[in-house]
Amino acid sequence: MTSNSVASKDKTTTIDLMAHLMRRAGFGADRDELERRVAKGYEATVEELLNPQGNRADREHFLRYHPGFRRAVTSPGMGASVWLYDLMHTERPLEEKMVLFWHQIFATGQSKVDHWHELIAQVDMFRDKGMDSYRDMLVSLAQNPAMIYWLDNCDNHESGVNENWGRELLELFSMGVGNYTEDDVFECSRAFTGWTISTVPPRNYYSRFDWSFEYQEEDHDNGEKTFLGNTGNFNGEDIINIICQQPATAEFVARHLYNFFVADEPPVPAWSVTPPKDPKAIATLAKAFTDSNYDIRSVLRVLFLSDFFQNARFTKIKSPAEVVVGTLRLVGQDILPGPGIGDLSKQAGYMGQELLNPPSVEGWHTGVEWINSGSLMKRINFVADMLGDTSRPGVQRIIDRLKAQGNLGAEELVDNCLELVGPVKTGSATLHQLVEHAAQHGELAWDTDESTKASTARVGELLQLIAAVKEFQYC
Amino acid sequence: MASVFLGINDRTYTYESTAARAEHMGAGVRYPIDFAMTEDEIAYIVNRGREDRPDGTRLTVFSLGEDGEEYISTFGSYGEEPGQFIWPMGITLDKNTNVYVTDEWLHRVTKYDQDGEYISHWGTHGSGDGELNRPAGIVVGQDDTLYIVDSRNNRIQKFTLDGKYLSKFGSAGSANGEFNLPWGMCLDADDNIFVADWRNDRVQSFTSDGKWLATFGTPGAAGTPGTGGDCSNAVIKGGITYTNAPVGQFNRPTGVCVDQDGDIYIADWLNNRVQVLTPEGRFITEFTGDGHLSNMGVAKLKSNPDMIRQRNGIRNFTPERVLWAPCAVKMGQNNRVIIADTTRHRFQIYRKNTEPVVV
Repeated sequence: MTSNSVASKDKTTTIDLMAHLMRRAGFGADRDELERRVAKGYEATVEELLNPQGNRADREHFLRYHPGFRRAVTSPGMGASVWLYDLMHTERPLEEKMVLFWHQIFATGQSKVDHWHELIAQVDMFRDKGMDSYRDMLVSLAQNPAMIYWLDNCDNHESGVNENWGRELLELFSMGVGNYTEDDVFECSRAFTGWTISTVPPRNYYSRFDWSFEYQEEDHDNGEKTFLGNTGNFNGEDIINIICQQPATAEFVARHLYNFFVADEPPVPAWSVTPPKDPKAIATLAKAFTDSNYDIRSVLRVLFLSDFFQNARFTKIKSPAEVVVGTLRLVGQDILPGPGIGDLSKQAGYMGQELLNPPSVEGWHTGVEWINSGSLMKRINFVADMLGDTSRPGVQRIIDRLKAQGNLGAEELVDNCLELVGPVKTGSATLHQLVEHAAQHGELAWDTDESTKASTARVGELLQLIAAVKEFQYC
Repeated sequence: MASVFLGINDRTYTYESTAARAEHMGAGVRYPIDFAMTEDEIAYIVNRGREDRPDGTRLTVFSLGEDGEEYISTFGSYGEEPGQFIWPMGITLDKNTNVYVTDEWLHRVTKYDQDGEYISHWGTHGSGDGELNRPAGIVVGQDDTLYIVDSRNNRIQKFTLDGKYLSKFGSAGSANGEFNLPWGMCLDADDNIFVADWRNDRVQSFTSDGKWLATFGTPGAAGTPGTGGDCSNAVIKGGITYTNAPVGQFNRPTGVCVDQDGDIYIADWLNNRVQVLTPEGRFITEFTGDGHLSNMGVAKLKSNPDMIRQRNGIRNFTPERVLWAPCAVKMGQNNRVIIADTTRHRFQIYRKNTEPVVV
């Protein structure tokens, strides 16, 4: 390792920690951004992520060139294109990461909703409310047309209760199995009767019309209800208030946050029988949740500043969305607007996470379940294609940094490349193989046009190899 | 230019009709982003379409006369071959009804005859004289000069009808005479040039040799920022729909045209309306949409009883009335104002009355 290497040890600790924060609280960051943030400091960066001053993606710019995505379309995967653009271009990475978080928890799918634009409206709501009051977001969720349709609350009438929304609100969105009774499910559902969607014109002659929430008083059950030991003429908001008073709710949300930001937990259905990996961490987060009156931003602050978060590096397998968005942000964002947005928006789906179309209301099973022989190949090939394209501005920036190092031996080259795409920490066997490959053509030189061209190509190949190593799949 | 939004004026407008319907193929339009009118009120329409349905990216020819809409033909298709396009954008006609279409992705202009037969194409990507970077609006002057909005180069370029470079004006910025991703354009009766200066939220006018004349409008948005022009921001009062944006303010204006009196019509994209200004920039009125079922819409409904039943259950027709991100506005014959209601895949047509009419 050279003395002026980007991997020099005095920088490594802080860069590594900042890279960890940005992978988890965002979608990674290139070396320039990491160095800027290290100079700013860890705690200041956490605050900036929690209270972002940057811009959201300029969706109007995107829609100028892709007017067909103003209301997303029917073809599989295409509807998520607008969101992909948001994910790629936001200057508020944690805000957008929280959109992904809530989409995973309040999983709503195109397979039934069949209106991409209503799903986009839902994730837009997550963006606006995702770091504020959990209680307020549950109310918005209960009034969200896509959710109402997804869980049949439009079929929940005074004269005939449909329990789908009421059950999932308790089971998957707030408390978890074992913390309520079947009677509670029924009473909860009664309180949400009359929460429905207004009728809209048929879509066929002027394209689709937006749904909107409508409260139909005449269809609401105004009778007395008993829910979780409380009795009264409850409406939906009363139910949500009671839910938020339950310790189980704080623990449930805390475990979700831990699973998403700290370390992979088993799928939600196993939570009633499998204790958390780190009960103390869950208790810490749950307490922050309760103490702050269900303020998500406050819980996230505690999480990112905790030792259990800062020590949890490379303990999570990247979700497909993290693979795709992280790669696209790393290689540069000149790709969009442009033709091919549909293909790009489908990539996460090819890897097992079709955004806006989770397999069920339970969301995706995460962790090791992201990986199988098919999805692994898709992950590697996508990243390798992107990193191997040395014309991309982000790859060019990596090459420029390597050039600044002067001629590089194999070990230095591998060391620096691992740093610049992560940093990625590999095992010794992997490192040895990478170095062996890099050594095949001798030292990397930049002194002539010919050597620069050859070295650029070799860097592209090496980056492709790095995309294929096991450690690259972790964050 | 100072703008005065008070006082009386002698113009009134009435809603006339709605034309066309949403179709990727055949008798309809998909994301009509620009159109050009002949004196016979034949409209040559650019259907931007969308990526997953490339068959909807095409040019369609409609009659948009007072007798109602009639579909005539289709030409052009999605692709990179001669006569094709990826992102068709602006369209204009010359005196012989040859058709010129800009392509924002291929950075070129394609010429067809009036029957849609491909004639030629030209254009090189770049920023040098005569090169193009996302060409958008396009018009032909009385002297057969072809004017093109060279949007990413933030300039207007002038060419001969066969693509020979003549001159240019404009640069990036927000001062008078500067542009930020301009979009549509038109000429008035004296060949003065009006440009929708998209990201500067204004319209600018110039002489035909590029001397700045006036600037109209300031930035202003309806409803919640970031909603992408959602028409749910429209409100209905007394049977008339409104946006919530102040008059004289624009949110990404896209298209502009000038009538025989010099009044200016501006497609106020994200405010979901068309504003009408006097030649001096005084606000006259705004069209926020009065859309009803077009003849083609009725035919579509009649084809499916389920659709008729669903529509009969509607209590609030506002969403069906209002303009939704309109991209272009043109003058037809007899003072007809024709608006491309782009995201609703139709045209809303108004009439400027010669005598005041109570509306």
